[in-house]
Amino acid sequence: MTPAVLGRLAGKLCLHGSWVLAVLLAAIVAGIAIGETPISLSLVFQVLANKLWGAGFVLDPIDEGIVWNYRLTRALVAAACGAGLAISGVVLQSLLRNPLADPYLLGISAGASTGAVLVAIMGLGAGAVSLSAGAFLGAVAAFALVALLARSTGAVSGSGQIILAGIAGSQLFNALTSFLITKSASSEQARGIMFWLLGNLSGVRWQSVGLAVPMVLIGLAVCLWHRRALDAFMFGSDSAAALGIPVRQVQMVLIATVALVTAVMVSLVGSIGFVGLVVPHAARLLVGVRHGRLIPVSALSGALFLIAADVLSRTAIKGQVLPVGVITALIGAPVFAVILIKAKGGR
Amino acid sequence: MPLSRFAVMAASLSLSTLTFAASPTPYPLTIDNCGVPLTFNQAPGKAVTIGQSGTEILYTLGLGDKVVGTSLWFSEVLPQFKALNANVPVLAKNEPSFESVIGKRPDLVAVQFEWMVGPQGVVGTREQFAEVNIPAYIMPSDCEGKDNLVGADGTRLRAFSVDSVYKTIDQLAQIFDVQARGEQLNTDLRTRLSKAQARVEGKRPKDASALFWFSSADLKVDPYVAGHKGIPDFMMQTLGLRNVVASDEEWPTVGWETIAKANPTVLVIAKMDRRRFPADDFEKKLQFLKSDPVTRNMDAVRNNRIVIIDADAMQASIRMFDGIDQLASAIDQFDLRK
Repeated sequence: MTPAVLGRLAGKLCLHGSWVLAVLLAAIVAGIAIGETPISLSLVFQVLANKLWGAGFVLDPIDEGIVWNYRLTRALVAAACGAGLAISGVVLQSLLRNPLADPYLLGISAGASTGAVLVAIMGLGAGAVSLSAGAFLGAVAAFALVALLARSTGAVSGSGQIILAGIAGSQLFNALTSFLITKSASSEQARGIMFWLLGNLSGVRWQSVGLAVPMVLIGLAVCLWHRRALDAFMFGSDSAAALGIPVRQVQMVLIATVALVTAVMVSLVGSIGFVGLVVPHAARLLVGVRHGRLIPVSALSGALFLIAADVLSRTAIKGQVLPVGVITALIGAPVFAVILIKAKGGR
Repeated sequence: MPLSRFAVMAASLSLSTLTFAASPTPYPLTIDNCGVPLTFNQAPGKAVTIGQSGTEILYTLGLGDKVVGTSLWFSEVLPQFKALNANVPVLAKNEPSFESVIGKRPDLVAVQFEWMVGPQGVVGTREQFAEVNIPAYIMPSDCEGKDNLVGADGTRLRAFSVDSVYKTIDQLAQIFDVQARGEQLNTDLRTRLSKAQARVEGKRPKDASALFWFSSADLKVDPYVAGHKGIPDFMMQTLGLRNVVASDEEWPTVGWETIAKANPTVLVIAKMDRRRFPADDFEKKLQFLKSDPVTRNMDAVRNNRIVIIDADAMQASIRMFDGIDQLASAIDQFDLRK
């Protein structure tokens, strides 16, 4: 890259970076201000001022704790998770040239459920291992199995085998989950699992932020670094190879990255559906197929979408919190339909 | 004054049951069990129980020799029945299979929950039991005024009433022709209830409130707490505490934010043998309450007004009265007027 190109890139980054940051901050503040119980906007800013630069307002410790430890962490993790799932969707859809690809294609969600069920119902680890840790291990195990299966069928150059291996792996782990649940659960325990599987942000604290945010930033950086390779992959791996891209290596790096990002997100908040499938398509309709733009726009849209869905999940029914996965599907499906219809009319 | 009204009601009820004291059961006996008539031509010789509450009620009524199989155990049997229970086969620790129940050829199946035997019963439906001519008696506490098809653990249409426990005891006593024992037991339980109420009289402010935390799917996520029409709610009301939870579900999940803002005067946490979720352990619950940046600021946590009660004492059972006693003695010790 010549200095001129770098300079232009830096200029673009500043311009776009600043409005992206502004929109994201506004969404996060909205995510903090709106919640289960009414907390005024001024109180929110007072808490933020106290915590960020020690403004010293005298506040009720419960309000302060709710804003700083519950709601802010929740909004940050929702943003990270939405962005992570959206870029994972983009990468898999492009890499595998399949519009139906989503982050859970690689068996991650199924593996996470099995891991969670093993911990929750079978009592693996006797209470010492948390549901999230179990889910993460399950997700990684499932992905490892899928990757192994895809590799041993010589799949790395053809996307078909990865998808088939993913389906086989998911089926296997889903069957395992059903087996474990029917074998030993009473309804109360099965409910605990369902509650978690549909996506739940209520257990999120600063520790989760420390895991989710760096993870999504790394994922974003890796994907952006490979943006031109991803552009090339849209014409098939043969064309990519013809353009001098090390196909095997790039595929392996990207798939491992999105698998890791997805596994971390699933283990933190459960499998929130729809974001990874729909947001990339919506972003593509907005800014086209070039990954230099598509990846950041998908990340931002995913973040905004999940913050909004989480706010809705907390406020739709008073005094009760809905699983966020239900909201993402309920809102996501019609919004996506509208985008599709509009896009058709525009052509 | 709900309290005094309750006392009057309890007194009048015990009076009315005493008036038609202990005449032998006329067979064939037909009773209404949640809208389904059950007919008994004679006192059952063999009974199978699904659910610990029914098992322990039959044992308390001195009918242990009639029980030929038990199932759905949440914890150890009450200590006074340990020897008796050792001789009764356990069909399953969890839910028994339909065939294992009817394989005992029982004349009665006593069922604690509709999710065991009911429209979506995991053991079977009432029709299945009717087809093989085995009366399945479902405890009124779980099928009267409660829709078990809505919400994860069912949803109460009417608030739980302790009368449904007395009714279970009365009806089981009638079915087995041991009414005198049934009446004695109910009188004892009513006396315990009024004693517990008397104990906390004047010991708490008018607006004292409480929350029952059963468990959580993961330590920090929204907890399962007692809904405002369930059994724990009755325990709170009996002792003059207001439940801060408004949901009609039996055990709804409510966010910590909502709970912290409601700031209950007393927190009640469940102690259980089950270890499926980290929060099943009451020590972990305590640890969370004292370390979480929000919950540690709640009044109940700061003033250490946390009561640990057996999870079994939050069921429609004889143990519920133990739970009420425990809660009453805790209120007695806390100075809630501070």
